[in-house]
Amino acid sequence: MAAPGVLESDFSSAVTLLKNLQEQVMAVTAHVQALTKRVQAGAYPTEKGLSFLEVKDQLLLMYLMDLSHLILNKASGGSLQGHAAVLRLVEIRTVLEKLRPLDQKLKYQIDKLVKTAVTGSLSENDPLRFKPHPSNMMSKLSSDEEEEGEAEDGQSEASGKKSTKSKKYVPPRLVPVHYDETEAEREKKRLERAKRRALSSSVIRELKEQYSDAPEEIRDARHPHVTRQSQEDQHRINYEESMMVRLSVSKREKGRRKRAHVMSSQLHSLTHFSDISALTGGAAHLDEDQNPIKKRKKILKKGRKKKGFRRRR
Amino acid sequence: MNDTVTIRTRKFMTNRLLQRKQMVIDVLYPWKAAVPKTEIWEKLEKMYTTTPDVIFMFGFRTHFDGGKTTGFGIIYDFLDYAKKTEPKHRPARHGFCEKKKMSKK
Repeated sequence: MAAPGVLESDFSSAVTLLKNLQEQVMAVTAHVQALTKRVQAGAYPTEKGLSFLEVKDQLLLMYLMDLSHLILNKASGGSLQGHAAVLRLVEIRTVLEKLRPLDQKLKYQIDKLVKTAVTGSLSENDPLRFKPHPSNMMSKLSSDEEEEGEAEDGQSEASGKKSTKSKKYVPPRLVPVHYDETEAEREKKRLERAKRRALSSSVIRELKEQYSDAPEEIRDARHPHVTRQSQEDQHRINYEESMMVRLSVSKREKGRRKRAHVMSSQLHSLTHFSDISALTGGAAHLDEDQNPIKKRKKILKKGRKKKGFRRRR
Repeated sequence: MNDTVTIRTRKFMTNRLLQRKQMVIDVLYPWKAAVPKTEIWEKLEKMYTTTPDVIFMFGFRTHFDGGKTTGFGIIYDFLDYAKKTEPKHRPARHGFCEKKKMSKK
């Protein structure tokens, strides 16, 4: 038997708890009675529903029944040891837990169905809205313009123009922009280009390979020495053969081709390193084969005589 | 090592709009000097069993290091169409149309 001091302190809390219990029990019984009346009246038909959900319903009900049986037993002083209801509860619990992942998988569909049933239409973000509608692709203008054309002769021209307007493609008018690139900007561009070229040169590439942790890439390319020039040549050949014409080769193109051929045939790339002064900041170092910075020559036009010295007769 | 000259035609197309057949001609002659155009002409005539009048060839370019020449060939259905469609200098090579000499002034 516990000491009378403890009993007294527990007494007040026990009384409040019991009062709470009583109130809640009365509310729950009222609620349950209303529900049972509605179910018996057939307000919740479940023949066309998901059988999965029905199984869950029945299982939960059975669980509740067993649980209330056990509570009744315990409240009237009996013990729960070895009670058959306990085993049944455990079984129902395991089945419910096995049903939980299935529930997760069906969650999206069930939510959508419920939302559709409640709101009466699909939500805005529903992917089903994005299916193709072939009826939208048919032009509804043709039927209209026929009616208009037949109606009045005076308006036939207007309607014809309207139809051509709707069918004719009007290209967008491009506005020419003023060109004002200063010398400084040109210089900057040149430097940028040189930097880019230097970055992809062999010196920098080998340094990168040496110090980076990335694995070495060996590409199985079709042509090991594919260059820009060879690609351009291929493009030219394709064009010539399909159009059955021979294109003329400008001097610049000839020079480029010659340079590319000479470089590739002489193993030039093996012995000469490329110019990385753009990155290091020094002056540009020029190889023998490369072109120095071109000076602008004054090209004398044909037939124009030099001013200044006039022959005196 | 074979001593024969091989002529292959590629990209053969029948052009109904201009009443002709057009193709790319590949001439292979390894280890030999370049083949003159008359030989190619005769070979084409044999391959396509037409009169040599309606066969026109142009644009022959030899690849680097020799051995291969590529050019274009056109075979017309009838000589009239050829005279109508071809630019004047090509039939002139065969001796059909006479080119008018333009005066310099």
